[in-house]
Order: sequence, then C-alpha cells, then structure tokens
Amino acid sequence: MTAMIQLSNVSKWYGDFQVLTDCTTQVAKGEVVVVCGPSGSGKSTLIKCVNALEPFQKGTILVDGVSVGDPKTDLPKLRSRVGMVFQHFELFPHLSITDNLTIAQMKVLGRSREEANDKGLKYLDRVGLKAHAAKFPGQLSGGQQQRVAIARALAMDPIAMLFDEPTSALDPEMINEVLDVMTGLAHEGMTMMCVTHEMGFARRVADRVIFMDRGHIVEDCAKEEFFGAPRGERAQQFLSKILQH
Amino acid sequence: MNYHWDWGVFFKSTGIGHEIYLDWFITGLGWTVAVAMVAWVIALILGSVLGVMRTLPNKTLSGVAGGYVALFRNVPLLVQLFLWYFLVPDFLPESLQVWFKQDLKPATSAYISVVVCLGLFTAARVCEQVRTGIEALPKGQSNAAYAMGFTLPQVYRHVLLPQAFRIIIPPMTSEFLNVFKNSSVASLIGLMELLAQTKQTAEFSANLFEAFTLATVIYFVLNMSLMKLMGWVENRVRVPGLIGSTGK
Repeated sequence: MTAMIQLSNVSKWYGDFQVLTDCTTQVAKGEVVVVCGPSGSGKSTLIKCVNALEPFQKGTILVDGVSVGDPKTDLPKLRSRVGMVFQHFELFPHLSITDNLTIAQMKVLGRSREEANDKGLKYLDRVGLKAHAAKFPGQLSGGQQQRVAIARALAMDPIAMLFDEPTSALDPEMINEVLDVMTGLAHEGMTMMCVTHEMGFARRVADRVIFMDRGHIVEDCAKEEFFGAPRGERAQQFLSKILQH
Repeated sequence: MNYHWDWGVFFKSTGIGHEIYLDWFITGLGWTVAVAMVAWVIALILGSVLGVMRTLPNKTLSGVAGGYVALFRNVPLLVQLFLWYFLVPDFLPESLQVWFKQDLKPATSAYISVVVCLGLFTAARVCEQVRTGIEALPKGQSNAAYAMGFTLPQVYRHVLLPQAFRIIIPPMTSEFLNVFKNSSVASLIGLMELLAQTKQTAEFSANLFEAFTLATVIYFVLNMSLMKLMGWVENRVRVPGLIGSTGK
C-alpha cells in the first residue's frame, strides 16, 4: 500500500515548550486511522500539521508525495485537496448552507456556480439535509451543522479527510448522526485520519489506532491489537478510564 | 428670564444681498454635510485598510498601522486641524503652496484641510473598530477557510470581513455620527459650516438663543436620521440564526 499521508520524525515547539516529539506514522490510501489520547497530548496539533494549519520545526510530512513543510509548496493547492472537519464545525455563519457548500469550489477550484451547486447539493443530500439548503448555519442543530461541514469538505473531492474531534462539541443524541456519516465514508474507501474519543467508532471503523501522550506517539497498531492488549501502561489507564462508561 | 423670543428672525433679511438668515443655515448645513461625507469616505476606506493591516501576520504592516493609530488618536482633533491648516501647507513644494494659499478660494483651502484632517483622524478610530471586529471572530473561522485552500486575501474577502463588518455596525454608527458632530471644528478655520453660520447669525441679529436653538435642532435631527439609517442597514444585513438577530 502507498502512504497517502506520511509523517517522519515530526517535532514542534511553542517557544521552549515541545508539543510534538519525533512523531512518525503514516496513513495508507483508503485506510482509517484514529488518533486518541488524553487532552493536551498533541493529537489536534499533529493533525493540524498535516495540512499546515500549524507549522512544525523538524521532520517531514508528505501528503500524496508533496512535502508540507517545503517553503516552495503551494499550500492553498495542497490544502484544497485535503478535507478537514473541525470540532466547532466552522461553517461560515454569514453564508447560506448552499453558499457554504459552493464558495470554495468556485473561489479555489474555479468551478462554475452551476457545477458547484450540483456537487454541493449532491453531498448535502448524502448527509440527509437537502431540505435545509436555503437556511443559514445558525438555524441548524450542532449535529446538522457538522454534517454540512462534512458535505462541504467532500464537495472539494478530497484525496483524504482529516477529522479534529468532530463529535466532542455535540450533544450526546447528535453524536451518532455524525458518526454514521463518517462510517459510511470509511466504507466507501475514503482515506481518513480522525482525532476522536469515540472508542466505539474506533472499534467498528478504524484500521489502526494511534495513542498519543505528551507529544509522543506511544502506540501505533492495528485496532485489534490496541483494544486487545495495548502494550503501554499509559494507554491501558486511558482505555480503562474512557471505556468505563 | 426676561427674554423676548423671536422665531421670526430666521425669515428676516440679513442685510446682505437678498438673503434671509435661514439661507445661512441651509448653506451651513450643506458645508457640514459636504465635509462629513467626504471625510467619512476617506475614514472608511483608509480605516478598513489599516484595520486589516493590524491583524496581518506581517509585523511591518501591523506595526505601521499601529503607529498610525497611536499618532492620530493621541493628538486632539483641534490641534490636528490647526496643523493641517496652518503648518502643513508651509512644507509643501513652492508651486503647491502658491496654489493652496493664493489660487484657491479661502473656503476651498479650509474645506480641503478639514476634510483631510477629519478623514485621517476618524480613520484611526475606524481602524480600531475593524481590528476589533476581525479579532472577535473565532480562530477556527480562518482555519476552516485556509483548510479549504483559500489564500490570505480570500480569507479576508470572503470569510473575515463580511462577518467583522456586521459585528461592528453599532460602534461604526457612533463613528459615523461623530464625523458630523466633529465637522463643527471647521468653524475655527473660517469655513462657514453650520456652527459658523449660527455664530454669524447670533452676532448679526442679536438673536443668540434662537440661532443656537435652531442649530441644536438641526444637528439633532440630522444625527437622529443617520442613526435610523444605520439601524435600517443593520437590519438589512442581519444573518438569520446569529446572536443579536431577531429575525426568524
């Protein structure tokens, strides 16, 4: 399998404080990798390095063979090929759902309004929200907004999707509607890197699980192995806490 | 108080040509509006550019804008006006000096000074409003825009500014009204705007109270109308479902 996302010895500092230490891992084409770990362990920072929302000082990240840290890399172009979904949805509140779905298609990819509309509405339908096309983000529930955010990312025809805690800002009854969309996506073969605490999702959908602690990747293994018997004590503690309820 | 109010004074002849005192007020209001509107256009454009500059990652650009604000916000408006009118022209090239001091009508050179002064002064204030509006937006908004492949100018044009300008409409309304009220400083360099015409009427007619009452009413009605206009604008651009919006 070829690696769609390849991280090699990535290190990052905020001033003197090291937030990432020598992180090495990869996500193969079509693979679903879940990144978990206690808060402050650097998982969100790591995933934001992949599309250069956060700079890193050491190591290399390749996305489909393109080096993210290379100053010569066309970052807007690279980012437009990688979809990202955020904890707080980050739909643009001043734009209707339709405009949210089409603006980047038109301004970044140069698609016509008609083509962008067709594509956007197709994905809106796919996440089950076609009836809400004319509404504004503030008129939708959190779960609905997050599904629109996923549709917005998919409309760009991404080669991979990054999820940064997509369900942690949602009310419990809305988590599943978002996870269902993500599960469907995984089954279709989308390459996915998901930072999440949803261990049920990881168990059902992930191919591999990465466990981070204090900026280090301390576990990186197939999910059966991870849920069966994680090697490190830290991962065991984390799992026992999070699986208790 | 033993004062005989005479509201008919505004329709009496000024003794100059065929003008009545009311004509003076109308001319004055015209100058006030002409000063304020042009100064506001300068302030809005320059202030928006400066406000964006202050939020850019580039240290030089944000530093320049920060310096501008410090300079124009910390010197009294009247002092700035005197500098623009009495001092700055002396530093112009010889030909421009002659043009400004001799060729132009006194009213025109005073007008130019006050418009430049008020425009640049208010730009510093608009800059701070725009900066605040942009900084009030969650960091995730620009992150989401960058993540979809937007360039920095596109992030500002399509995501940050449309939201920031909506947020700052109420404080910008105050700045807009301030330009109209501050334009009265022009009376001190001889531009015959509303306040100067009021003083002149008071002196010519000796009906001081009537003159200043009318000026007060005109300023009040003018600003009240502008306030209503901005309220209407705020309603028009209101986004459904956002905080502060009452629409369904």
